[in-house]
Amino acid sequence: MSDGMSSSAWAGRIGGVCLLLLALAYGIGGSQIEYAFASDPLGPRVMPVLLAVLLAVLCLVYLIRPGVSERFPRGRLLARVLAVPTLLVGSVLLLEPAGFAISIFVLAAGVGWIFGAPFRLAIAGAFGQALLWWFVFSYLLDVYLPVGHLFG
Amino acid sequence: MNFDYLWQGFSVALTMQNLLIGLAGCFIGTLVGALPAIGPINGIALLMPIAYTMGLPAESTMILLAAVYCGAEYGGRISSILLNVPGDAGAVMTALDGYPMAKQGRAGEALMLSGLSSFVGGMLGALGLALFAPLLAGLAIGFGPAEYFVLMVFAFATLGSMVGSQPVKTLIGCALGLMLATVGLDATSGAYRFTFNEPELGDGIDFVVLVIGLFSVSEALLMLEHQAGGVTVIRKLGRMTARLDDIRKSVGATLRGSAIGFVVGVLPGTGASVSSAVSYTTEKRISDTEGTFGKGDVRGLAAPEAANNATACGAFVPMLTLGVPGSGTTAVMLGALMLYNIQPGPMLITERPEVVGGLVASLFIGNILLLLLNLPLVNIFARVLTVPNWLLVPGILVLSIVGVYSTHASVFSILLMLAIGMAGWLLRKAGFDMAPIILGFVLGHVMEVNLRNALAISGGDISILFQSKISIILWILAIAMAVLPLVAGRRSKSRALAKAVSPETSA
Repeated sequence: MSDGMSSSAWAGRIGGVCLLLLALAYGIGGSQIEYAFASDPLGPRVMPVLLAVLLAVLCLVYLIRPGVSERFPRGRLLARVLAVPTLLVGSVLLLEPAGFAISIFVLAAGVGWIFGAPFRLAIAGAFGQALLWWFVFSYLLDVYLPVGHLFG
Repeated sequence: MNFDYLWQGFSVALTMQNLLIGLAGCFIGTLVGALPAIGPINGIALLMPIAYTMGLPAESTMILLAAVYCGAEYGGRISSILLNVPGDAGAVMTALDGYPMAKQGRAGEALMLSGLSSFVGGMLGALGLALFAPLLAGLAIGFGPAEYFVLMVFAFATLGSMVGSQPVKTLIGCALGLMLATVGLDATSGAYRFTFNEPELGDGIDFVVLVIGLFSVSEALLMLEHQAGGVTVIRKLGRMTARLDDIRKSVGATLRGSAIGFVVGVLPGTGASVSSAVSYTTEKRISDTEGTFGKGDVRGLAAPEAANNATACGAFVPMLTLGVPGSGTTAVMLGALMLYNIQPGPMLITERPEVVGGLVASLFIGNILLLLLNLPLVNIFARVLTVPNWLLVPGILVLSIVGVYSTHASVFSILLMLAIGMAGWLLRKAGFDMAPIILGFVLGHVMEVNLRNALAISGGDISILFQSKISIILWILAIAMAVLPLVAGRRSKSRALAKAVSPETSA
C-alpha cells in the first residue's frame, strides 16, 4: 500500500452503516409507494423492496469485511476539498442571474487558486477560460448558455 | 451471414462530415486518454450531451463517441510510458514494461511499438465485432422478457466476479445503480417513485446528470488530493521508429493480446482494465522464460496494449446486439443511444443499420486515423502531460456544467449533478468503482420491465424464468461466473499457503 493510503476499516464501516440506513429508508419508501392500478402481478413496489433487501444483505457482508479504503483528507486539505463543491454551488447559483461568462470566471479563478496557481495567474487563467468557453459554445457550437440579467 | 449493414455503415462513415467528426474524436480521445486520471468515460460523458445539443444525428454522435473511446485507449499508453502514471485504467499494465523502456532511453520505440500493437488490437477487435454482431443478434432474436431478465442477472454475475478486488463493493455499486433507476414515473402503474414531489425528478434521474456527477465532479475532487508531486515526464524520446526485431518478437504477444482482449470485451461489464491484466499475466506465463518482464520487455508492452484496444471493440458486441454493455464506457454510450430514443437490442442491426454499421465502420476507419495521428504527433500528445491541474480542472468542471445545462437548461439538474458528484467522491474514497453504478442504472429499467412483462405473461408464475433452454443456460453461466472465482481464489490461496509452508518443512 502506498504512503497516502491506509486500511481505514472504521471509515469503511461507517460508510457501510450509512448504506444500510439508505437500504432501510429506500425499502420503507418503496413499500409505501401509492398507485391507483397495477397492470402486472408485481406492481411498482416489489422491485424497490427486493433491491432494498439485496442492498441490506450486501451491506452486512461489507460491514464484516470492509476492505481497504483511502484515507480521508483532514485539516487544510479537507478545507480545500470542500471549498471546490462550495465554489461550484456558488457559481452555479450565479449562472442564471450573472450569466455564463461571469459565473465561469468565478469558478475557474477559485478552483485554479485552490489547485495551487498563484492568485494573479489564477485570475488570468480564469479570464482566458471564460472567454474561450464562451466563444466555443456560444459562437462555434451554438449551445444555449444564459447571458444573465444582473447587468441589464 | 448478412453484412449489408456494414456496407451501409461504410457509406455513412465515409461521408466528409462523419470523417471529420471521426478525426476530431480520435484527436480528442487521444488527448483525453493521455491525461492522467481522465479516462474514456469522462471524455464521452462530457462530449455526449454537447453532441446531442448540437443536433448531430445518432450515427454521427456514435461515430464521435466511438472515436473518443478508441482514441483514449491509444492515448492512455502515452502517460503510462512517459510518466509511469496510467492515462486510464486500461493502460495500467502498459506502464510495467513501457516505463522501464522509457527510462532506458527507448521511450520513442515504446510509443511506436505500442501504437502498432494498439492498431493491430483495434483492427482485429473491429473485425471480430463486424463478424460476431450479426451472429449474436440472430441468436438473441428468440429472447423473450424472461431470457432478457436472466441475461441481466448474468451480466451482474460477470461484473461481480471480474471487476475490482472486492466483489461485494462491485455488487453494492450495481444495487445502487438499480435503485437510482427506479426514481421517477413508473410507466406501468402510473405511480411516482422516490420523486419527493420534485417535478424535475418525474422523468427520473437523467443519465447525463448521473454520469457527469459520478465521473467528472468526483474526479476533480480526487485530483486535488492526488496532486502529483515529484512526477517527472521523460522528455528524451530517443529513436522514433520501432525496431524490426522487436516487432517480430511481439507479433505473438500482440495476436494473443488481441484475442484475449476481444473475448473479455464481449463479456458483459468487463472492460479494458480486466483484459489488459489478463493478457499481461498470460503473456508473462507463456513468454517470460528469462525473467525480462517488468524490465522493458516489448512483449509485456505489446500484449496489454493490443488487448485494451481489442476490448474497446469487443465491448460493443453485447451493447449493440443485446442492449447489455460490455464495459463501463459502452454503458455510457448505451445511455447516449437512449438520449436519441434508440433502445439497443437484436433488432437494432436491421432497424437502424446506419447506426450499427456506421459505428463498426468508423472503428476500422478510426484505427487507421489513430495510427496516422499517433505515430507522427506523439510528441504533441506527450506535451499535454505538462498542462497544469489548475488549468485542467476548471476546464473539466466548465464542460460538466455546460454538458448538463445544455440538455436541461435547469440549475436544479446541475445541483443534483454536484450532489451525485460528492456521493461519488465518498464512494470512490471507500474503494468503490463507479462503472457498476452506471451499469446498474442503464440496465435497471430494462431489467424491471422485462421481469414484470415475463411475470405478466405467466400470470405471476415465477417458473417462467427457468423454462426455456436459453434461460437455463444463462442461469448456469451466471452461477458459474459467481462461484468459479471463489473456488479459484481458494485454490490459489491454499497453493500459496503450501508454497509458504514447504520451504520450512523441507529445511
